[in-house]
Amino acid sequence: MGGALSTSVDITLNSLVLGGVFLIVATGLNIIYGLSRVMNLAHGSLYAIGAYAGYTLTTIGFNYFAAIVIAPVLVAAVGLLLERTIISPMRKRSMVYTLILTYGLMFFLDGLIKQSWGNEPRFVELPAMIKSTIPILGSHYPVFRLVTLFIIAGVMTGLMLFLNKTKIGIILRAASTIPEMVSCLGINMKHVHIGAFVLGCALAGIAGTIAGPLTTIDPLMGHEMLISSFVVIVIGGLGSLRGAVFAALLIGAVQTLAEFFITDLAMVIVYMLMAVILAFMPRGLLGEGRFE
Amino acid sequence: MEKKNKILNVEEIHTFYGESHIIQGLSLFVAENEAVSILGRNGVGKTTTLRSIMGLTPPRSGKITIDGEDTTKLPAHAVSMMGVAYVPAERHIFPGLHVEENLKLAARPGDGDNPWTLERIYDQFPILADRTKQDGSTLSGGEQQMLAIGRALISNPKIIILDEPSQGLSPLLVDAVTECVQNFCVKSGITLMVVEQNYRMALKVASRHYLMGTKGKIAGVATTQELNDNPQIIHDHLSV
Repeated sequence: MGGALSTSVDITLNSLVLGGVFLIVATGLNIIYGLSRVMNLAHGSLYAIGAYAGYTLTTIGFNYFAAIVIAPVLVAAVGLLLERTIISPMRKRSMVYTLILTYGLMFFLDGLIKQSWGNEPRFVELPAMIKSTIPILGSHYPVFRLVTLFIIAGVMTGLMLFLNKTKIGIILRAASTIPEMVSCLGINMKHVHIGAFVLGCALAGIAGTIAGPLTTIDPLMGHEMLISSFVVIVIGGLGSLRGAVFAALLIGAVQTLAEFFITDLAMVIVYMLMAVILAFMPRGLLGEGRFE
Repeated sequence: MEKKNKILNVEEIHTFYGESHIIQGLSLFVAENEAVSILGRNGVGKTTTLRSIMGLTPPRSGKITIDGEDTTKLPAHAVSMMGVAYVPAERHIFPGLHVEENLKLAARPGDGDNPWTLERIYDQFPILADRTKQDGSTLSGGEQQMLAIGRALISNPKIIILDEPSQGLSPLLVDAVTECVQNFCVKSGITLMVVEQNYRMALKVASRHYLMGTKGKIAGVATTQELNDNPQIIHDHLSV
């Protein structure tokens, strides 16, 4: 039966796209947490700002692909501003302070989004060249979703190369394990904290921009994503980049399948899965980890 | 005795952990090309002294200078940039980073005439050359200590500060590490300060020894010769 095959192709590819978006957001959250022990509750809002920035750039005439590059840079700039003005002064205090601070920041940014773009949903206009569908094993799959999949693969490959091959990448990995020794080697941890926060925000921005055309853009999109990416890093193991890959693909698949078969209960099933995994592996699939 | 430049000078420092007054007016110095040890029992504040110098636990009062420049209030990364290489007792080899990455992290762009380069480290430490791509944290204790010393050398520091290099090593490995410190630090004239409970090792590598008493103060100073001639001094300070 061709219908079943094309449906499974759709579900598989959609799972990968959704899992990929989760992965980029969760990796940003993980990098910030792993390097400065700041659990950034405003991360979802930065993701939403990425989506809105992409939307605005395309409506004022920028090419979609240009928007994918520019929007994350804008979100990274917002991240730099936030780090310098409010996150950094709170860093020496216990984690609860930054938790409360970023919780408030989330509402502030959400309010700013509503003020700037309103409550009604927005849709990103895609370039004609990727609007078509492509036949894959009986399915007519949207080209832009495949393009999105390639972008996700490119972003994650680029990030891995950055972390493994560049001096800054090596510093970030070292700082996620023994920050004090990194200082003793002459590296200013303040710069590491800034770099990690900006990198994390840029990743949220990238994810938001590419997720824009996949869903409707609305002021609450960041909240859903924050919760989903929390689920991903909790299942994968806090701070573990490798664990996040497994967890993101798992949650992407579960959520896609659940949405296909039993629409309303999709998130319930995701949480049940998290509860079951944590019951047996309290530290997540790969335990509290480091970047590798 | 010719008057040599003091690379490290510590004057009357007082250091606290919270409200605990650990170091209570400690003074010492290390001259250029000199190898000095701090000997003392467990818990007298040897590591705290090193952490004070390194800027990790800055003193509340007193003065520390590196090569004449005041570093008392500087954070660790700035002290490191002044030319101080610190090898903590735990070695702190970065897990997840292979041997070469651990070394590269400490290397600094020099003006080309730096004596220690990656090639020279591998040349002098064949154990590391054989394991360049191995995760540093999977090395044995002795190998990790070699890597930690190599990581200190590659920054081409003015002074290397070693905290308990013999800690957790078998007697055979203590000898190997002692030899390594003698060959690469002492003989090549690198200024060195080593903290030890293992006084036999300290006597082999250092020429002058500060004896640390209770209340985080220096109780006496002696040369290796004096300590060899009169072991009672060590006995008084180190034995229980």
